[in-house]
Amino acid sequence: MRRLKLLSLKAVFSFIPASLLASAAVEGRVELPKSRSAPVQAKRYEIVTKAGVLATQPPLAVVYLDGNFSQTASSPIKELAQRDLTFVPALLPIAVGTRVEFPNLDDTYHNIFSYSPTKRFDLGRYRPEERPIPSVVFDKPGLVTLRCDIHEHMRGLILVLNTPYFVMTDTAGRFRLDKLPPGKYTLKAWIDSRTTREKPVELKDGHILHVDLP
Amino acid sequence: MRAPDEARNKEVRSFRTRLFTAIMVIVATLTALGFYLAQRRITADAERNLQQTFKTELSSMHELEQLRHATLAERCNALAGKPRIHAAIEDDAIDLLYPSAKDELRDLMEGDEPPPEQAAQSLHARFYRFLDSTGAVIKPPNASDVGELDAKTEAQLSLNRLPDTQQIGYVQSGGDIQEVIAVPIFSTDTGDLVSALVIGFKPFQLEDKPIGMQSGIWVGGNLHLPALPPSALSSLNEKITRAATDSESDQNYFRVEVAGAPQLLFYKRLNPGSLFPPAYEICIHPIAPWTAQLHRLRWQIGGAGGLLLLGGFIASHFVALRMSAPLKKLALDSEENRAERERAEAALATTAEELERSTRYSADASHQLKSPVTVLRVGLETLLGCEDFRPEVYEQLSGLLHQTHRLTGVIDDLLLLSRMDAGHLRIASAPVNLSQLVDEWLDDLGALPDSPDVKIEKEFPSGLFVAGEKRYTSLIVQNLLENARKYNRPGGRIRVGAQSKGNHVVLSIGNNGRTIPRDENIFERFHHSSTPSVVSGHGIGLNLARQLARLHGGELRLVRSENDWTEFEVRFSAANGVNPAA
Repeated sequence: MRRLKLLSLKAVFSFIPASLLASAAVEGRVELPKSRSAPVQAKRYEIVTKAGVLATQPPLAVVYLDGNFSQTASSPIKELAQRDLTFVPALLPIAVGTRVEFPNLDDTYHNIFSYSPTKRFDLGRYRPEERPIPSVVFDKPGLVTLRCDIHEHMRGLILVLNTPYFVMTDTAGRFRLDKLPPGKYTLKAWIDSRTTREKPVELKDGHILHVDLP
Repeated sequence: MRAPDEARNKEVRSFRTRLFTAIMVIVATLTALGFYLAQRRITADAERNLQQTFKTELSSMHELEQLRHATLAERCNALAGKPRIHAAIEDDAIDLLYPSAKDELRDLMEGDEPPPEQAAQSLHARFYRFLDSTGAVIKPPNASDVGELDAKTEAQLSLNRLPDTQQIGYVQSGGDIQEVIAVPIFSTDTGDLVSALVIGFKPFQLEDKPIGMQSGIWVGGNLHLPALPPSALSSLNEKITRAATDSESDQNYFRVEVAGAPQLLFYKRLNPGSLFPPAYEICIHPIAPWTAQLHRLRWQIGGAGGLLLLGGFIASHFVALRMSAPLKKLALDSEENRAERERAEAALATTAEELERSTRYSADASHQLKSPVTVLRVGLETLLGCEDFRPEVYEQLSGLLHQTHRLTGVIDDLLLLSRMDAGHLRIASAPVNLSQLVDEWLDDLGALPDSPDVKIEKEFPSGLFVAGEKRYTSLIVQNLLENARKYNRPGGRIRVGAQSKGNHVVLSIGNNGRTIPRDENIFERFHHSSTPSVVSGHGIGLNLARQLARLHGGELRLVRSENDWTEFEVRFSAANGVNPAA
């Protein structure tokens, strides 16, 4: 526990200078795909596939600032739970190096694994009371598809990003990224496993840049 | 008489022979036909029974096989649906495919092959492979984990496309046959066909087969029937290959010779509609016991047919005899009939000749007599004209003259009769006033010199006409009236009546006098009464009258002769349209 506290403190401190320094912000709107009236069964799973493309349902996007950022010392631990035989949240954007815990909130066994090239892992079967909570550190950017060996319909996505500056849009596609370092970057919006939109941006201190990604 | 008898016997014999032959031909034909049909029926029945037995055996085997296939397919589908296998294929982790499958298929692959009697229930797999999206085999990293196969066998697992349904196939590996089931793997994300899992098993074989039955598998032009020697295999293989490639049917049967023994061969497609090469189940069954039984049956039928034929032979002999008997009798009868007819014809000819001769003689005699009678009469008339005789002489001459008149009358009658007999008399039919005719004759009758004292009664209307020739009608009336007068008793009466009856006119003439006996034929020519009488005729008058009446289409008959009353009746044809209605 002590170690965990230290780590989190360290994370806070490492984050503070940047946030203090960075006062630029970006806001705008991402044009999301039309919300399909997905099959009732599929709705529950939140990650749907059409023609081999994984996306969230309802459509959401992850907007992030792509650039050459120095590796932050550590990232906070994220959580991706299994509840009601689904992954919650269905899509989790994280920065490289983030540890993700996979707590089992159901009354049954789960066996989370990934064969994705970004990160292959297999947590094995575990029950809700399994301690420590099985976790994985994602050290490579990319998309990770999560499956359960026991519940073949379960799908979850982890988007591992090479940046600490990212946010998820609301269902209307609106987003706001604060405390960004000034400079020239590329603003990207991940919409689904095959679609990423981008725009070059120049952030200035104290300015709020409005960027729409149609 | 001997020659016709022999000829007749010969004919009867020939008829009998022909009859016998015909019956025998029919019996033999029927027997042959019956034999042929029975034989055909028995062969067909026996073949059908054999087939039925065979098919029942095969179908029970196939039911077990299908059950096994269904179980296998279910198991394979369950395996193909495993998330790790899907993850490996869908998440681009082919290197993890076989390692993941190794865990999933462990229970299927591990352990020893089950004993044959448990083969149907066992799901022991020998090997497995995955196919990529093109249908080619994905090479396993470590063949020992997935069942080792040589390159040639492994190549047979590839398909030209991924199957969308379960496929059954048979592959040859070395000298052995492996049964494979390919199940499609659909992406759980997209529903697309992404791969297929091919699992190999030991082919299913029924152990408790019927005695003598041998089964094997034909695939890719090769027959695997371990029980047969290689020499028999190659010739059998050719035939099956031809049948399998030529026939459109998935199953059939034909006869073959295996090592000199006749066998019935059944083949059935094991994997109809499969993407794998066609494979056939081959079953051969010796038909020697069956043919032996058939031979026995044929002999039995043949024996029965022979007996039937013999029975037919005997029966037809008797039938021919029996049937020719009436014919023989008929021939005899007809022979007698013919002789009788000939005799009758000869007699008839003789009679006709005699009649002809007598007719001619009568005519000639009459002619010959006529001239001297005329001379006699003329002489007597001349003598009567002389005045130098005594009165008694005149009386005698007058009597002689009267006799010559009678003689002339007889001659005329005879002439007329002979003309009638010769058929030369022709009646010129015309209306004749019968009433007038009778009246005239009655008048004449009263005027006759030797008329006895008779009373005449007339009962007929005037103007009754009959059809005929007046001369002859008059002759009939004259004859009858003269007889009535001649044979009457003194103080008797004559009653003449006439009336029209339909198409006829009936004239009746009755008189008192002696009774004519019943047995006396008064209408016979030259008839003379058996009872003595003071008067006598020449015996041709009634005969002539009747003949004439008949020539006129009428009849003359004696109506009655009793109690001092004799009555004749003549029936004439009425003259059309002249008589008043009766």
